[in-house]
Amino acid sequence: MIRAGAAALRAWSRGRGWAALSTAPPAPPAVLEPRKGLSPEEPPVASPVLRSCSVPVPSPLSPVQAWVGSLRHPQDTLRGLADLHPDVFAVTPRLDILHTVATWQKNFRRISYARVRTRAEVRGGGRKPWRQKGSGRARHGSVRSPLWRGGGIAHGPRGPTSYFYMVPMRVRVLGLKVALSVKLMQDELHVVESLELPSSDPQELLELARARHWGHSVLLVDTNEFPENISAAAEGLKSITLIPALGLNVHSLLKHQTLVLTLDAVAFLEQRLLWHDSRYSPLVPFSLPHRDLPGAA
Amino acid sequence: MSGSGVSRGLELLRSLPRVSLANLRPNPGAKKREKRRGRGRYGGRKCGRGHKGERQRGNRPRLGFEGGQTPFYLAIPKYGFNEGHSLRRQYQPLSLQRLQYLIDLGRVDPTQPIDLTQLTNARGVTVQPLKRDYGVQLVEEGADIFAAKVNIEVQRASELAIAAIEKNGGTVTTSFYDPRSLEILIKPVVFFLRGKPIPKRMLPPEDLVRYYTDPRNRGYLADPSKVAEARLELAKKYGYVLPDITKDELFKMLSARKDPRQIFFGLAPGWIVNLADKKILKPTDENLLKYYSS
Repeated sequence: MIRAGAAALRAWSRGRGWAALSTAPPAPPAVLEPRKGLSPEEPPVASPVLRSCSVPVPSPLSPVQAWVGSLRHPQDTLRGLADLHPDVFAVTPRLDILHTVATWQKNFRRISYARVRTRAEVRGGGRKPWRQKGSGRARHGSVRSPLWRGGGIAHGPRGPTSYFYMVPMRVRVLGLKVALSVKLMQDELHVVESLELPSSDPQELLELARARHWGHSVLLVDTNEFPENISAAAEGLKSITLIPALGLNVHSLLKHQTLVLTLDAVAFLEQRLLWHDSRYSPLVPFSLPHRDLPGAA
Repeated sequence: MSGSGVSRGLELLRSLPRVSLANLRPNPGAKKREKRRGRGRYGGRKCGRGHKGERQRGNRPRLGFEGGQTPFYLAIPKYGFNEGHSLRRQYQPLSLQRLQYLIDLGRVDPTQPIDLTQLTNARGVTVQPLKRDYGVQLVEEGADIFAAKVNIEVQRASELAIAAIEKNGGTVTTSFYDPRSLEILIKPVVFFLRGKPIPKRMLPPEDLVRYYTDPRNRGYLADPSKVAEARLELAKKYGYVLPDITKDELFKMLSARKDPRQIFFGLAPGWIVNLADKKILKPTDENLLKYYSS
């Protein structure tokens, strides 16, 4: 999404932001009517900011902004602006933390089931094959030693092996913040009001993605439930994925080229990710009841 | 425009290729290759074992062996430095400076009685009942900068610390918690989830009774009138004017004390707290009431 440019802002306030781009026949829904000023000489006062940060932004920082569109029409991209919290969407781009978290996601679930038999487990090989001295051949104690064909393996995998390890909670949270900031800065983050589609045709969804130059893979994020049209449309598609905001993770963010968030998802993510900046260390596990957990009570 | 709020690193990203799974790498120097023995010039040949002898052959004697000479650990006679260490009571220190820091940051509320639960919730102290900790002791560090009016309950307190708190118009009480009550006091939510009734707090053992009945230590079992006299004596000793807390607006809070058998303010022994339904269950049987009120 092109960040709020001055020219686009002027075009938006004149109510012709999207119409200037194309001559599509079906009329998309009207943009917000600008409020009229008190006296006739004053220009109409319009407030493009549709959503401001619910968590207060500390004073030296200021919110970053992104255009809010909708999915109803391919050209309906400039409905208003959303303020995004800088401590979530404009953190220092720690690419090494992205590497840490993505590698952790890939490896912590790995259980390697490889297992080979040692010389003790291979069938047979209890008897000394020939006498120690006098036969002219090399001395051996068992036909299943690692030197022999068909013998046991000396230092092989003795699975199942677990590669489980945990990366600290705050590092994982910072990984999500860095990934979101990177997506915003590289013009791959788009905010929409909601994921409502005019129809449940997968081809129309692909056309929309192509018209908006979204790239070859899109990740759509909403808070809890998805509208019927978009679930049906994205069902069979490989390049377009829907995930709830709870399931957002660094691997999916980097794998898909474009990220589309709803305003609800933005609020959810800001609340959940910013809580970790000012919380106490856990005296008891967070799975037990707490008064100040953002998700629970 | 968000140019001013956005760091240079982020601005740089706009002109760099898309960050994807294919171009992730750790910071240079973060991952160092491990030295695998028996491979290559540096880990191989003698594999770090040295040349011949017990070292290379892995036959060195046990740790502490000195070639036959009586080793150090046998030559030195035994002495009971650590004898009975697991039976000694320990008290985690809490300096007045730390207490002032917690109050200033708003982690501890001075308008409510300060208890070990409040201190633990504010992460001001970490008490481990299983490591023979019997609570928290007040320490004088920061007595000259302490300026908060608090009603604090600790397990031990030094004289100067008591003086510093009372000079600012607060009150100190020292009280005893047996290990089971201490564990419940520190982590109340975990205890309530067990669904068991709150037990009675036990009275101190013989060697601590003298400490907790002494008004000079502000013990919870001491006579309140003698405690008032001790407050005046301390003021005279250290040379400050003792503020009259009866005329204070927070007098009710400052004079709030727990019963010797009570663990939590507002909850009596025998009650069960149900967190899921947000209810408190109280016993009705005569025998139970007699036991819990004894």
